[in-house]
Amino acid sequence: MNPEARAIRRAILDIAHVSGHGHIPTCFSVVESLQAVYDTLRHDPANPDWDGRDLFVLSKGHAALGLYCVLALRGYFPIADVHAFGAAGSRFGCHADRFKVPGVEASTGSLGHGIGLAVGMALAARIDGGDRRVVTLIGDGEANEGTVWEAIMVAVDQRLDNLTVIYDHNKSQTRCLAIPNPGERFAAFGCAVRVVDGHDRDALAAALGGDGGAPRVVIADTRKGWGCRTLVDDMFAWHRRSPNARELPILMEELDAWTV
Amino acid sequence: MRGQFRETATALAETDPRVVVILGDISVYQFRDFQARFPKRFYNMGICEATLIGVAAGLASQGWFPFVHSIAPFVTERGLEQIKLDMAYNGFGGNVVSCGATFDYAWDGATHHAYGELEALRLVPGMEVLQPGSRREVDALIRQCYGNGRPTYVRLSDYPHDEDLGEIVAGRGRVVIDKSARLTVMTAGPILGNVRRAVADLPVNLVYFHTLKPLDRDLVERFRDTDILVVHDARGLREAIGEVPNLRVDFHGLGDRFYSGYGTVDDLRRECGLDPAGIREAVARRLKGS
Repeated sequence: MNPEARAIRRAILDIAHVSGHGHIPTCFSVVESLQAVYDTLRHDPANPDWDGRDLFVLSKGHAALGLYCVLALRGYFPIADVHAFGAAGSRFGCHADRFKVPGVEASTGSLGHGIGLAVGMALAARIDGGDRRVVTLIGDGEANEGTVWEAIMVAVDQRLDNLTVIYDHNKSQTRCLAIPNPGERFAAFGCAVRVVDGHDRDALAAALGGDGGAPRVVIADTRKGWGCRTLVDDMFAWHRRSPNARELPILMEELDAWTV
Repeated sequence: MRGQFRETATALAETDPRVVVILGDISVYQFRDFQARFPKRFYNMGICEATLIGVAAGLASQGWFPFVHSIAPFVTERGLEQIKLDMAYNGFGGNVVSCGATFDYAWDGATHHAYGELEALRLVPGMEVLQPGSRREVDALIRQCYGNGRPTYVRLSDYPHDEDLGEIVAGRGRVVIDKSARLTVMTAGPILGNVRRAVADLPVNLVYFHTLKPLDRDLVERFRDTDILVVHDARGLREAIGEVPNLRVDFHGLGDRFYSGYGTVDDLRRECGLDPAGIREAVARRLKGS
């Protein structure tokens, strides 16, 4: 695990403990994906509304805490601000609000929405004739929503080669509507599919770079809770839990011991 | 009204390079000229109404003024969460323009009828809800609202009224008849034609709205000392007027049921008492009781 990824996960645990909120396992599964996004896309933390920026939409909005921590560590705002996560008067809700948090392009939370917005943003960039790229991160559970596949069909039909969809394949749906072989499905829809280790930041960045040719889907093969053994082994119980004072040091110790 | 929508959208596109049209495979022939003239700003995107709204919101986020057009129940009721969240909550305003108002597709049955969407959209914070009743109203209201950044619903009908109501201003209603009567009939949209025929020689006032949200509350206030009878072929107007406190309001229109019959618009209007005779009877009943 790269040092920044470990720091991000420590921040997620800390804030989840202090606030009593957090979707920790899902945040943990997307840490490296979020790093790769901000490694790759053009953006300026000092000027979040910079006209020349690329656009990122966190479609699986319940991973907002992970996004906040990445944005904070990349300089958008102090990480201390995020400790008010979920509290009355805080800018940092359990699902992000674009009017409150610099760097957040769209307010998401209800699943299956961000990807449609991202398709519209990519279409806008295409009509404008610029080279703006749009990346959206969706979850495998989110892909139960029909609008995900509608949006993919539209993106393919419109040949939006400036759009990249990161599919967080963290196997969250093994107890209900699982989607086996998602890469084959997206390929069948006409996407250019790349399958990578979703906890390999460099592999993700490489998959996000270069030309796509068609709407690109990066299947990020991840584990929900990756970084703490307890979270991986019991991901459903921990889906919305936050650690108490007894559990926090245990999770921190597990995180420090994670050697993959 | 669809023809007017096409003409107005085309005229706007000529002068405003940020206008874009997205169709849900509806009215495609109507927009052939638009497509030929503005190929980069025309998309017959598919029968996926929720996603059409999401895509339109994404376009709006980048400074475009999208018109999304499809059949009323599908583009509004199926796409309601996208209108609420992608457009309204995100502040990515766009224009949702429907056809197939109320019983316009009478013969297609209840799946193709729309009489709840005006009220559903009225409940979306920040939403503008327009029910033009004539071509002139379509043109004026779209021109006034299309680029204001707010999510806007424009409900078209193939059965417009033929009343000339003078100046048309979004958010302002009109007094059609003022007899200083004790009973005021309030209505909206195309059904105005039937309503006026029904009450022309009765001792009532007649007030008309083409904008359900924001409602012209000042106009409602002018008639607060009268009994008010809302006559409408949809949900939404009665509820909007009911938000003005301490009025005496009654409603004549649709009940809590599906209207599953077929036939023509007039057949279904007659079934629910919204033909001129049915409206006249309802008004006369209130006059006797007031």
